This record gives sequence, structure tokens and C-alpha cells, in this order.
Amino acid sequence: MILNLNHLHAKSAAANAHSVVETMYALLEEKLIDQSQFARLRIQLDWLQYKQNFREVVSVVECRNEFGEQTVMDIHVDTRQVVPGPGCLRKELLRAMERSRGGAHHEPEADRILLEDFKTFRRSIAWKFNGLYWRRLDDWERATGKGYEQALPGGQSDGHVAEAIAESVTEFWKLLCDMESKKQLPQEIFMLEIGVGSGARSKLWLNGLRNMDRSEGTSFYPRLRMLLGDYSLATLDMSKPALKEHEDLCSFVVLDALNPLQTLAFLRHKVLHVHSNNMYDNLPDEEMLRRDGRMYLVEARTYLPMQDALRIAATFDLPVEKLHPMIERLLDGSHDFLGDHDRSLSFWQEVWKAVRLEERLVAIEDLPDSPFPAGLDAAKLEDMLAEAPSDIRFHLSPGAVESFSNTLPLLYPRGYLQVQDIFATEFDQYRVGFHGPGKLDGSIVNWVNGALLRKVAERAGFDVRFVPFQHRKGSKTSVLYTTQRE
Amino acid sequence: MNLPILPTAIVGSYAMPGWLERLKTEYFARRISRHDLDEIHDAAVKAAIKDQEIAGLDIITDGELRRDNMVDYFVERMPGVQIDRSSKKFYYDFYDSAVQGKLPTASLGLAPDFRFLHANTERHAKVCITGPHCLTKRIRNQYYPTEEALASDLAKVMNLELKALVKAGARLIQIDEPYYSGFPEDLDWGVKVLNTLVEGVDAHLAVHICYGNRYGKPSWEGSYRYLFPRILDAKVHQLTLEFARRGGEDLDLFKEFPSTFELGLGVIDVKTHDVETPEMVAEHIRKALNVLPPEKVWVLPDCGCFHLPRDIAFAKIQAMVEGTQIVRKELGK
Repeated sequence: MILNLNHLHAKSAAANAHSVVETMYALLEEKLIDQSQFARLRIQLDWLQYKQNFREVVSVVECRNEFGEQTVMDIHVDTRQVVPGPGCLRKELLRAMERSRGGAHHEPEADRILLEDFKTFRRSIAWKFNGLYWRRLDDWERATGKGYEQALPGGQSDGHVAEAIAESVTEFWKLLCDMESKKQLPQEIFMLEIGVGSGARSKLWLNGLRNMDRSEGTSFYPRLRMLLGDYSLATLDMSKPALKEHEDLCSFVVLDALNPLQTLAFLRHKVLHVHSNNMYDNLPDEEMLRRDGRMYLVEARTYLPMQDALRIAATFDLPVEKLHPMIERLLDGSHDFLGDHDRSLSFWQEVWKAVRLEERLVAIEDLPDSPFPAGLDAAKLEDMLAEAPSDIRFHLSPGAVESFSNTLPLLYPRGYLQVQDIFATEFDQYRVGFHGPGKLDGSIVNWVNGALLRKVAERAGFDVRFVPFQHRKGSKTSVLYTTQRE
Repeated sequence: MNLPILPTAIVGSYAMPGWLERLKTEYFARRISRHDLDEIHDAAVKAAIKDQEIAGLDIITDGELRRDNMVDYFVERMPGVQIDRSSKKFYYDFYDSAVQGKLPTASLGLAPDFRFLHANTERHAKVCITGPHCLTKRIRNQYYPTEEALASDLAKVMNLELKALVKAGARLIQIDEPYYSGFPEDLDWGVKVLNTLVEGVDAHLAVHICYGNRYGKPSWEGSYRYLFPRILDAKVHQLTLEFARRGGEDLDLFKEFPSTFELGLGVIDVKTHDVETPEMVAEHIRKALNVLPPEKVWVLPDCGCFHLPRDIAFAKIQAMVEGTQIVRKELGK
């Protein structure tokens, strides 16, 4: 058995690590664990980043071959959820091992209500919950009594920090000056903001550039063509009042964050600055595991633990077998499926809080379809992982990779893409902790595999560097800068 | 040379297949031998030649598929240039190279590649080389007092190579100088060393100047106006320029600055996977014919097809040939 000790800062698992080892030995000596299970067992401690997440105290991830034999078995323990005392860990470990043994014989699931079959994570209904949250953000905020930004760590979007915006403006202004001095600056200066939010950041940014023009005696502001892109027309409309004073140079464009190029093909190689904030971490994700020279995709299915299901059913006066159909109605967009708007909202929140993810591993050669985003395949990924640890579980970040790859062609030769988000900037980071998925209010949040983005960018002819965000103490976000490489 | 009116060709490179990229990188990782890589190159070049012939091009290149990129192929053959061979992991990266002493004169050994091409096609064969200005921008100069001095010596070494190519049968030679557009301030000496390069070379000479195509992206933007009038001193027969992606505005420069140059007219945008229609190609050619007589116009893509998928590259050059045929018919040729 291999025990992987991850490390979450200021959340040491030392005490629990000791008791995990002790418990495993005890279970082995009591013959409650098969020797064959023990031989391939890996235990990951302190595996979770987010307090609100999709895991139980102990969860099992395994792979079975065509004969139903277990080939990989990983147990993840979230030590923060372990209730102090001798019973909790033993009970949960035993339950997980038993489930694993039962899984081989396809026994019915008694301790949970499954909401779907196993599938690639990006196809999971977990993302339907995420989509519902963004479509009905108003409802959610009204129900919780707090705005989206208040749910963020620090209670404010890092994208709105005035000093950071001033820095961004200055940097861009310097580029414009340099290009102008070399007669390289086009008459129209195109900029793109992907994901506009309330429009507040763009407003502050444009104010900044206009002020810079005034104080420095330049005249770039009137030449700006600011494109504000969002997948939601409603969001774009909401952002318009904030940008009223700059409306002459703003265009509001509905676009798919996964493929900005599709909408903006006419601006290929013409945009000098593209910016996005807190977007990649909310795009559909997959996770992969490389183990003993093989590559696996993590498939997932959502479920409700039975004790949560019973509690929710009692709260809403529903038979427990009605929960699944009610959840389907919720996700289909019905607002009053429980006969009352507020009651339906409250049901949504309770269910989201309780939703968990069960995982299994499938060797990529056994998948019916390629899990890779366009432009990436197993061979290329292997090349990119050449310097990564040989044994690693990591984000594939297909949504971020797709968005990134479909944004780069918009850049003018000296243009740059600036993305503020939460990144794993080196593959090694995946050896000391895992970074998602978690729940942020009603949405999904995931660290983005920045190390992979860097490799993808290199192959497309761009350099990537990450700068930790300095303007808010305790911020975990970084700013990714992408520029054309020689 | 027995060429039709509006001769068609690719600029130099043909689509680099993904499998070949992988094998080249395998070679750098020491997982396949030089001998195997050479055989793979031969097979890939034959396939590229066949594609060009099927598409109907009048002039054929070897697709430059033996080259890692437009610089290293020359730099690693250039006597006196020091190369850090550990400096690249992916085949397309540039070597870190430097000149630390006066360049000696020796062969670059390009003739065998030309002979291979010539032996595998009955059509006109074109050989393309990277020019001294471009190479100067990629080699760290740790010896010569100026960039111009380094470029001048590079041109002298390469001049002998061009003569060797002519001796081997090369009649069409293209010199690639994309960095002119990034460093227009160098043009004075750039043209001077270009003339050193071609001095006494008895072949049809073209100079290709674009706005860069590294990774299939432009490296610079602007107008070809910077070339004029200085470029008129270049002792070449043809300027090969990009017009498909950038539009035909700069065609008027040929009116404003009359010259004896032919125009290698870029009619295919190699930086997008959208395939042009023959009619679009024909329209580009008609615009050029408003400025130049048909016997002064050759039809090409904007730049190399290196970064295009093979099927897209093939469809594009097929459209280019069909578009050219439309105009030839209109001209009664």
C-alpha cells in the first residue's frame, strides 16, 4: 500500500495520517481487507482544496479490467471531515472497501441515490447545476441574501481591485506608445473582454486609459474598439448601464467562451489585448490519471448520500423516490416545480449542498470517444507530460484549453492575452495537493491546469508566464500573460 | 523556360504532417536514427511532390519537409556557426546559435536535396533558401562589428552554394527574407547583401518577403510601402509578396514605382483553414492584372503551407490552380 501525504497549508493532517495507517493495519490483521486489495491500494490524504466539495469522508476510485478485476484502487480521505474519535475513520474506510468489493458484483446501491450513470465529468449533470446557477443568479442571490462576489474568497472579485486595473492600463498604454513610436500601431485598437460581469471592470479600465491619455498627452482612447463578449445576452444588457459614458467605443457581442474565434473570425490577428477574469475555472473540466505508464480518464456520476436524501425528502414532505424526478424538473428549468417559488429555490440549494461525485477510472484506450479537446491527443499529451511526474492525477481542463486555443488566433502580432484565474502553474503542484472540483455558492469551481496551457501555447507559438496576484492579501489567483513567441 | 502564362507554384513549404512532426521530435529525443529519419524524409518529400503535381502546379518544390524550420536547416550547415544542440526539445524550436569568428567558406550541401526533387518530378523544380538578413537576425553575432558585416559574409558563403545549385540544374531559386518586414530600417544593407548573395548566379531569382508565418501567425503588420524605392536596386527577377490575407491595397505600389520585377502574387491565405474558391483566386489575379501585364504575374500562396493540415493545403492549392485557369481562359491563353 502506498500512502500519499498531500499538504494543504495550515491544515495539517498529521494526526489523522497516523490513525489512517493504524486503522489500515488493524483492518488487515482482522482480515477485513483482502490481501489483493491491499497490494494495489493507494491512499491519498488531504486531497481536497475546497471546503464545499463533492466528496464524502472516504471515497474510492478504482479501475477494473474487462474481467471485472480491480487494477487500480485509490482511496481519498478528507481529514477535515473525519469526526474525532476512534469510530469514524474505521467505519468509513470499511464502508468504502465494502462498496468496492460489492462493485465487482454489481450489487444495488443502498447508501445513495444515483442521479446519473458514469460519464466523463464534463457531461455530468453537475454542470447542469452550474448552468442553472448562472441562468438564475438573481434567484439564488435573493434566496441567500448575498451577491456572487460576496461568496468569493475576500468578498470581492480580484478583477475589480483598483490598483490591479491601474497596472493593467499602464502596461497596455506603454505597449501602445512603443508601437506608435515604431509606426506599428493600427488606426483601430481592438480589445476584447470575455465575460463582462456587471461591466464594472471594463468601466474602470476605460476610465483609466482615458485619464492616462489626458495626463500623458496621448490620444489612444478615441481609437479604442472595446468588444465586450459574453454567452448571455441578459448579462450583456445588464453591463450596458455601467459603460454608458464609453458607449461610443463599446460593442456588445454574444459569444461562446469556448470559441471566441467563431464569432470574431473577422478580427483574426487584429486584437491587441484580450482579458478575462474568473472564467476558466468555471468551464467544463475533466481529470486524468497517469499511473504505471497508462493513462486513465476519471469518469464521474452524481449522487445523493442516503442520509441527506432522507433529510431533504422529510424537509420537503416528499417520498424519497420522488427526489430524482424533482431534481430533473429543477434542472430542466422549472421554477415552481414544488408549487411554490421559494420552496423550489430552497430545494435547489439543499440538493446542491448534498450532491456528491462518485468516480471511476477508465483507461483511455477503452473509451468510446477521445476525451481530448480539439488540437490535443494522447500522443501530444504524452509529449507535454514528458517532464511531469510519472505518477500524477491532473486536470485536463478541456474547457480552458479550448477557450484558450480559440482565443490566441485573435491576437495581433504584439498583442497579449491576460487571464486572471486560479492556476496550477506547474505539474509538480499536483503532487502536493489536488485542486478541485469544489462548490462556490451554486457554481462549480476548479483550478485550471496552467502548466498544460503553457505547453499548448508553446505548440501554437506563444509564451506563457504566470504572475501571482499581488493586490489582495491571501489571493490564490494568478495572472496568465500570453504573448507571441519568436 | 517553358512556363505557361501566370505560372503557379507554392512559396516553398508544403503541409507538415503531424506524424512527421512527431518523428522529427523523436529524432531529437534520440529515439530514432538519422538514417531512419532520412528515409522518412524521402518518403514524405515524394508524397508532397505528388500532391503538388495532382493539384496541377506548374512549378514544384520539395515542400521543405526535411527542414525543422526556415533557419536551422541552414544554420546547422553553415561552417563556423556554433550550435547548442541541447537547446531545442521540439523540432520546430530554433537552435541557439552563435558566430564567434570569421565564417569560413565551405559547402552547405544543398545540392543533393535539389537533385532528389529534380529526379522525382518532370515539372519545373524550384529551390528555396533563407536569405542572409533573416539568418543574421537568428544567429547571435559575437564576432562581426555589425549585423551587416555578418550578413555580408553569410551571403558570400551562400552565393557559392547557389552556384552549386545552378550547376546541379536549378533554374528557379527563391530567397526568403521575411524579417525585412520586422526590421524595415535594415533594408538599405539588406538589399546590398541580397545582391552579394545573387551575384553571378545564373538562374531565375525571386525574393519572397512576407509578414512572417512562424506557427502560422503573422509576426508583424504594416504596408509594403517600406520596401520602395530601395528594393528596386535588388538584382532579382521577382518579388513574391502576400496579398490574400492583407488585401490588394499595396498592389498600387507597382504602379507608383515602375520596375522590371515580376510579381509573385500571394492569392491564398495560409493563416486560415478556410479554403478559397477558384473565383476568389481569379479575382485576386484580375486585380493584379490591373497593375501589371499577365506575363509579369506568377500565382502563389501568401507564404509556405507548412502549418496547414495536408487536406486543407491540398484543397487550397487546387483552388489556386483552378482560379488561375479561369483567368488564363479569360486571357485566351
